[in-house]
This record gives sequence, structure tokens and C-alpha cells, in this order.
Amino acid sequence: MVENRSFRSKVRTTIIYVIVLLLGLSCLLPLLNILAISLSGSAAVSANRVGVLPVDFTLTAYNKIVSDGQFWHSFMISVIRVILALALNLAVTIPMAYAMTKSKKEFRARNIYMNLLIFAMLFNGGMIPTYILVKNLGLLDTIWSLVLPGALPIFNVIMLMNFFLGIPKSLEEAALIDGASPFQVLLRIMIPCAKPSIATVSLFSIVGSWNDFFSGLIYMRKVENFPIMTYIQSLNVDIQELLKSGASSATLENVTELSNKNLNAAKIVVAVIPLLMIYPILQKYLITGMVMGSVKE
Amino acid sequence: MKRNFLTKLTSIVAAASLVLTATACSSKDTPSDSGSVGGGAGTGSTEKVSSETAEERGTIQVSMGRQTLQNVTFPDGDTYEDNAYVRMTEKELNIDITDEFEANGEDYDRQVSLALSAGEIPDMMKIGSLDILKELYENDLIADLTQVYDEYASDYLKSLYDSYDGRALANVTLDGKMMALPGTSGDNGPSIAWIRSDWLDQIGLDIDEDHDGCIKIEDLETVARTFMDKNPANVDNVVGIAFAPWLTSGDPDGTFSMNSIAYALGAFPKTWMEKDGNVIYGSTTEEMKQALSVVAGWFQEGILDPQVGTRTWDDITALLANGQCGIAFGVWHIPGWLLSNVYALNDQATFEPYVVEDANGMINCKHNDATGGYIVVKKDFSNPELAIQIANLFYDTLVNDTSLLEKYPEVKNYVTNGVDGSSRPFNIEVNSYTSLLDDYVEMVKGINNELALEDVSALETRTNIPAIQRYLEGDVDADNWSRYHCRLKGVGLIQSVTENNKFAWVTPIFPKTTSTMETNWANLEKLEEETFIKIVTGDIDVESGFEQFVTDWNAQGGAQIIKEISEQVQ
Repeated sequence: MVENRSFRSKVRTTIIYVIVLLLGLSCLLPLLNILAISLSGSAAVSANRVGVLPVDFTLTAYNKIVSDGQFWHSFMISVIRVILALALNLAVTIPMAYAMTKSKKEFRARNIYMNLLIFAMLFNGGMIPTYILVKNLGLLDTIWSLVLPGALPIFNVIMLMNFFLGIPKSLEEAALIDGASPFQVLLRIMIPCAKPSIATVSLFSIVGSWNDFFSGLIYMRKVENFPIMTYIQSLNVDIQELLKSGASSATLENVTELSNKNLNAAKIVVAVIPLLMIYPILQKYLITGMVMGSVKE
Repeated sequence: MKRNFLTKLTSIVAAASLVLTATACSSKDTPSDSGSVGGGAGTGSTEKVSSETAEERGTIQVSMGRQTLQNVTFPDGDTYEDNAYVRMTEKELNIDITDEFEANGEDYDRQVSLALSAGEIPDMMKIGSLDILKELYENDLIADLTQVYDEYASDYLKSLYDSYDGRALANVTLDGKMMALPGTSGDNGPSIAWIRSDWLDQIGLDIDEDHDGCIKIEDLETVARTFMDKNPANVDNVVGIAFAPWLTSGDPDGTFSMNSIAYALGAFPKTWMEKDGNVIYGSTTEEMKQALSVVAGWFQEGILDPQVGTRTWDDITALLANGQCGIAFGVWHIPGWLLSNVYALNDQATFEPYVVEDANGMINCKHNDATGGYIVVKKDFSNPELAIQIANLFYDTLVNDTSLLEKYPEVKNYVTNGVDGSSRPFNIEVNSYTSLLDDYVEMVKGINNELALEDVSALETRTNIPAIQRYLEGDVDADNWSRYHCRLKGVGLIQSVTENNKFAWVTPIFPKTTSTMETNWANLEKLEEETFIKIVTGDIDVESGFEQFVTDWNAQGGAQIIKEISEQVQ
């Protein structure tokens, strides 16, 4: 009886492990494939012979990237964008979230603000009105068009607010009794206590602005101004689309000769590295941050 | 506890998905008048500056919207906005070109739509379709070019457009006004069956005894069977014939499509045409059913790729490159950019092009629409004639006047190094209707040393001749290989079929997008492609399945679209 049960639970565990393993592999294999392609010879790639291991190992693609000026230019645009967006997001999100923790008694318009936030989270102006706004503000082709439209991520505000609410109120009261101003309370008490949550919010901001290609596509009207992900996206050549649009034979030759799958794969690999470096640093906060922020007393 | 967790989870997921869609925190103060893009009324005809020279007039600023191409290699420091072609244009016409926006392919179309919705378009821009042209015209954003075209276009440029029997300019004429400078698109001929000729030789199979390049559907079957049987490349998983999942193409030359089989049976898939005074859609005809049943027969016999329907474009390229498949269907220039992958892996590979003839020995083919890609000029732009002058410069002077290349050596460098044509201010092609075959005739003369290289008119032909001569002398490299196959083999076949009067041309209808097309076309196209794949793979019966498809197609908007197109045609 007992043996039977342990056998059953063993089977169950095994099945679960297999499923989890498969899920994990399904995430990992495409990445390994891209890595392998970036390290393989171009003939092997066009013949679809590359799986998870490189065929005809070569570093040509990476050598080429080193001399690709636009790639590094776009890379730097993305780095600056991430830094700007992160600073701006935190500068706006934290005070906003803290203010929203106050009850209606202390902050009379709180509910109005809250409703505005929720409303703006659920509905937005849509692509074209937002574009016209950005255009009329003269932000097109500037880094600010990538940073300002998403300056206040409301989801992050709500998450941070819930985390603040989880901090015992007595802590704050003690500080107030000791003569701290509300600003000092935020700076000295709330922020240090909310480190895990702030780390989570930062991670969202970094990943979000690093990976976002679409706003670059809309607001940046020249390739020179593209952030890295927009640049990589724009390298993808749709031959069928080109054929349909009546591209000349010379153009097709140019585009297929230069749109090198290895090179594009290598660019993807290089572009992913910064995120791979940031994740381990912030990951330890990530899980506690999300769960703790989601419950309030 | 459990419920609590679930609530939490769902709220997190819901909130996360919301945040993904929320891009802006507030858009209340967005001007909501995006609809009022009309702009002021036109100022009538623009002032003439023809009496002034370009120098006296002073430098004119021209902003442009330009469609670019991925990965174009410019000489160091050059960009789309500042390259040899642009510098030459600026100097010759005393203008200063700035790019309002640049983007590739579909991203470019998005930029155009955004500019259109904001009501501010650049002085000149390329647009991709006649639908956008119509929209710009209806919003009164673009200038009427009728007068400046008459006055400024060079005789040669006019002759290029006129070679399309008025079809090219008719496409851009709205209410009697010429609203754009069209790019031309000549006929590329039918989809050609490119067959590995080194394999044919090795096996000793001769499918075309009279060597006219025309074969029957049965010959194609014989080749596929023999290749599968003999497996000349000695590889695993040989495939006789492979098609892309969409099977048919609206372009006559549809690469990896079954068009050549359909055409040989008198079916014109994805084509609007007139028959006995009625508008019909080629994919719903009896002939199409026959074509599908032939291909379905191949599937059953096993000479058609058993994975048809899931084999992507890249997969088929890989089949060819690996030597698993020795037959490729496509336009005359696929050796230059697609079959070159085969050469890259096996420099012994050679191809021979064949066209598939119908029961009467004729080659059925349809005409392309005469135009593709358009240049429009902003309504109140002060010097609309500049657009025509730029066109004169590139499509006339640069082609016909060699002294221009001597004057601008850096442009000459661009031409010899093959810097992509998209780097010109206007990314369109303007060629005469017969340019493909004219160039071929000139090229053959050049190869036979009957014409001096300097006397060859087309710039590309001047590069083709020595390359093909080298190939014929046994100097085979990738570039020579592809030029030989494209220009001498591929175009040569089209030329010989034309000479022998074996083309039976069909002129399709090119309708403007109708209202029912806007709403239903995506579904109808899906219905068509899914049904055809099912029929070919034997999932549904040819007879009843096709009949059902025609009924469904008509019921789901097809009949209505035909009605709307009939009204357009009248």
C-alpha cells in the first residue's frame, strides 16, 4: 500500500518533470538555434542544416558586426533610452504610488486620480492620435519620443502602491512623530523598505524599453535614429513581399546577397546579451517583489 | 486560500495584458481633428519657372519620403539622404533634398499612412499602391501633374510610358488628371520550370527533343519521377516537385507556385478577367479544378512533396540547395537570388529553363499591370516640375547620355559596383514595355562581339555581357553563373517563345479595391488557399470539394465583388 503510493507519486513527479522539461526546452531551443545559426557557415544555414549545434563553425558574422556602424549606433541609442526611461519612470512612479497610498481623508482627490489612472490604463488614444501628439510636440526623430509617451507605467504604479500599503503604517507614523516630512518619509522609510518592488518595476521598465521596437518604427523616421530592436526588426527581408511589389532582379539580388541569416542571428544574439546580464542581478528581487506587492493588509 | 490565489493570478494577468496595450498615460489633449486633412484649396496652376535657369532660381528645398531597402551597402559615409545619386540630382537641378522619412517595405507604407493621417506629406514621396493614390487624391493632398508632365517630360521619358499603350498613365489618371508619376512594370513572362540540367545530362534524359524550351505537363512528371528514382545527388528524402503552401500566385511568374501547370490547362488563378462579356475570377473556373486534380494526382503518386502545405519558402530553397529536389518554378531571374543558393553548395549545378505548353502547344500567360510604385507631389509644392525633371535625369539622361557618368565619376562607381537603385531619389523603375527583350537582343549581339560595349544602351547589359562571355569561356563564378542563367537562359527562353509566336496572352482586369473586397477579401483568400491545399493533399474530394468551394466563395462575398468589378469595368 505504502509502496504503491510512493510509486504512484514517483510516476507523477516524473511526468511533471518531463512536462516542465519539455516546456523549458521549447523556450530554450529556439534561442540555441539562433546562437547556432550565428556561428555556422552561410551555406549550411541556407540548406537548413543547422539545429542546436553550429555546422562549419565560424566567427565571420561576429567579425562583421564589429564593423557595422549602424548596429552600434542603434545599440547606444537603446542604452541611452533604457537609462532615460528608467530614471524617468522611477522618478514619476514612486511619488505617484506613494501619494496614492494615502486615504481619502489625507488626500481628498485620491479617488479622482485613481479613476483617471485606471481609465488611462484601460483606454488610450490609439496609435494615430498619439502619433499626431508626438509630432506636434516636435518629438519625432528624437529620443524623447521613445521615452515620454510611456513615462508613467500605470501598472507599475499600482503594483508599487500595493507594496507601499503592505508596509506597516506604524513605521510611517513613528517617523512622522520624530518630525520627518512626508518627503523624508518617502525617501528614508518607504523607498528602502520597497527595494524588492522597485527592483521589479525597474526590471519591467528596462526589459520593456529595450525590447520595444514598435515605437521606434513609428516615431523614428530614419534608420540612423532606430533603437536596436527596431533596427534588427527592419533587417528582416520578406522576399515574397518584395516580389509582389515588383522589385527588380537587381534589387532582389542585392537584398538576398546582403540579408545574411547568420549575420542577423548574430545581431540578435548580441542584442540579447545586455538583458541576459541584467536578469540575474535583479532576479532575486523579482519574485518576492511581484508577490509581496500584490497583497495588501 | 486557493480562490484568493486564483483571483490574484487573474488580476495580475489581466493587469499585465492591459499594461501591454497602454502606450500613453494620457492622450486627452491630443488634437482630435485628424479628419480635417483637406488643407487649403489649390492655388491653381503653379507659376512657370521655365524661363529662369536653375541657377537664377536659387536652391529649392525638397523634402521627400523614400522607400529604402535593408542592408544596402553604400561607400563609406554615404547614406540614403546623402549619396552619389542624390548629390548629382542636387547639383544638376540646384535643389537640396532632405528626407522627411525613410523606411523599408511595409514599414514605409505605415509611415505614409501616418503622414497622411497627420495631413502633412513631404514635397515628394513614393507610394506603393493605387489605393493610397486614390486616398491622397480624395483628400486633396497631391498636385495635378498633367501640365508639368506635358511641358517638362523629355520625349524619351514620354516614349517609355507610351510603350504601354496608354495603360501606364491611365492607371494614375483620376478624373482626367495625372496625379502621379508611375513606375512601370513590364511583363516578366510565365513561371518557368527550372530543371537541373547537370542531372538530366548525367541520366541521359532528353525531354525537349526539338529544343524549343517548351515541354508538356507529362514531361515534367517524367523528370520528377526520374529524379526521384535515380537520386542523382545521392541524398535522403528526395522530393519530385515542391510548391509553396499558397500553391497559386496572382503574379504570372509566381515563384514556387503551380501557376505554370494551371496556365497550361487554361486556368488563371487569382486573376480577374473577362470571359464572354462577364467578369470571372480565375480560381473558381472549371480549368482550375482540372489543374488541382492533376496536382492532387501527383500527391497521390508521391512525386509531389508529401509535406506540401507545411514546407515554407526557405524550406523549399533548402530542398533545392541540398539536392533533394531538382525542379524549381519561378520567374526568369530566380537564378540570381534563389538558385544561387544551389550554386553556393554545388558549383557543378546548372539549370535549364522550360515553359509548360497547353494541349495546342501554346504557352498561356497573362499581362502584368503596367505600373508599380508611384511618385506623388504635395499639393502646394512650389515647383512640381522638379519631379518630372528628376525623372528625366534618371530614366532618360543617365541612360542615354554617357557624358553624365563622366561628369560624375562617383555615380559611375555606383553603377559599376551595383549600389542598389533604391538609393536614387525616386525608388521606382521606368522602362519601356519591351526593354526586357530589347536588352536581350542587344546583349546577344554584344556577346557575339557584333556590338561594341560602349554602344550598348542599358547600363546593366554592359555588366552582363563580359560576365556571360567569361562564363562561356569556362570561368564560372557565382556572379557569372547567375547572369548566364538569368539573362541568357531565362530571358532567352522568353525571347524564343515570343519569336515563335507561341505566347497566348491574356489581359486581366486590375480592379480598384471594392468595398466588399475591403471587408471580405482576406477571408476569401484564406478560404481559397485552405481549400486548394486540402484538395491537393486528398483531404477532400476534387469534384465535390471544388464545387463546394465555388458555392462558398460566391456566397461569402465573391459574387458581390464580381458585381462591383463589373460596374467598375463599364
